[in-house]
Amino acid sequence: MFRSALSRSASYARNLAVPNNCKCIAGVRFMSKHSTESDVEFDARYESFFNRKDIDGWECRKAMNDLSGMDLVPEPRIVIAALNACRRLNDIALAIRFLETVKDKCGGKAEIYPYILQEIRPTLNQLGLSTPEELGYDKPELALKSVYDL
Amino acid sequence: MANHLVRYAAQQTKARITPAISQVRAAHDHAHEHHEVGDPVKAVIGNREIVGFGMNGQPNYIDRVDFPLPAIRYKEVTPDIQVLKEKEKGDWNKLTIEEKKALYRASFCQTFAEIKAPTGEWKSVVGFSLIACSLAMWIYIWMKKYVYAPLPKTFAPEWQQAQLERMLDMQIGPIEGLASKYDYEKGRWKE
Repeated sequence: MFRSALSRSASYARNLAVPNNCKCIAGVRFMSKHSTESDVEFDARYESFFNRKDIDGWECRKAMNDLSGMDLVPEPRIVIAALNACRRLNDIALAIRFLETVKDKCGGKAEIYPYILQEIRPTLNQLGLSTPEELGYDKPELALKSVYDL
Repeated sequence: MANHLVRYAAQQTKARITPAISQVRAAHDHAHEHHEVGDPVKAVIGNREIVGFGMNGQPNYIDRVDFPLPAIRYKEVTPDIQVLKEKEKGDWNKLTIEEKKALYRASFCQTFAEIKAPTGEWKSVVGFSLIACSLAMWIYIWMKKYVYAPLPKTFAPEWQQAQLERMLDMQIGPIEGLASKYDYEKGRWKE
């Protein structure tokens, strides 16, 4: 799981300072003190959620909104599961929006998004999805009049 | 026994509420011309499909990068969009770029690039701030000219000079202050 650099360095610093016998060295999340879920468990949870056969539009959107609110970039497996969920819901706009969200979560680091695209390229080809760049949506296309000028 | 009755009554109420909601949702498909009691949600959002919970449970649309999926689709379903939606159920490889873009715009108002595009608002902010500063300066000039009394005569250079000589004569601050900087033998300031 890609997390903020701060929590990652905090994790390394802690492991250097206090050697522990815990097997999940790189896995403990530092976001909330109540969460003891490891990265792998988090990924598996979201992947299995999106992979549900009977997933609803509401639940899909809820999970995607939650992911975009968290300080992380979703793993490619989560992205692939989400795109397949969009396919089952027959909603291509949702899939494209989710890809835009993933790109936005990558933030300033330029090497994360190409990696994710590379990992999900087979799924994109199989589903017939275009990335926002292919649609020309990496640049603004339309301008919205400000509500103060109406 | 009473507990059981209460639970039964609650279930009945729930059973009554849910079909009404699904009826309201189904109403989106039929065109209702005459409606004595219009659905208040439909009056606000029109024919747009409610697709999620949204930020607060209200059926509103907002473009935010930290909350990308609003509660309703952006556009109402027109016959053109309906055609595209039927095509969407098939293979997406068969959709053209234009159709994909049309489907996106049917669900969303702005793309992320458009949401994050710079507005140039900072220029008007800086401009108005500088105008306000210059206005303040003009007001000060007017105050100085018309409101403030003239400076007292003690501010005149000759008066200040005489004041300084008097202070030196009185040896004000002889150890570390003014007079300590003046060389009385030579009659001028120390180097």
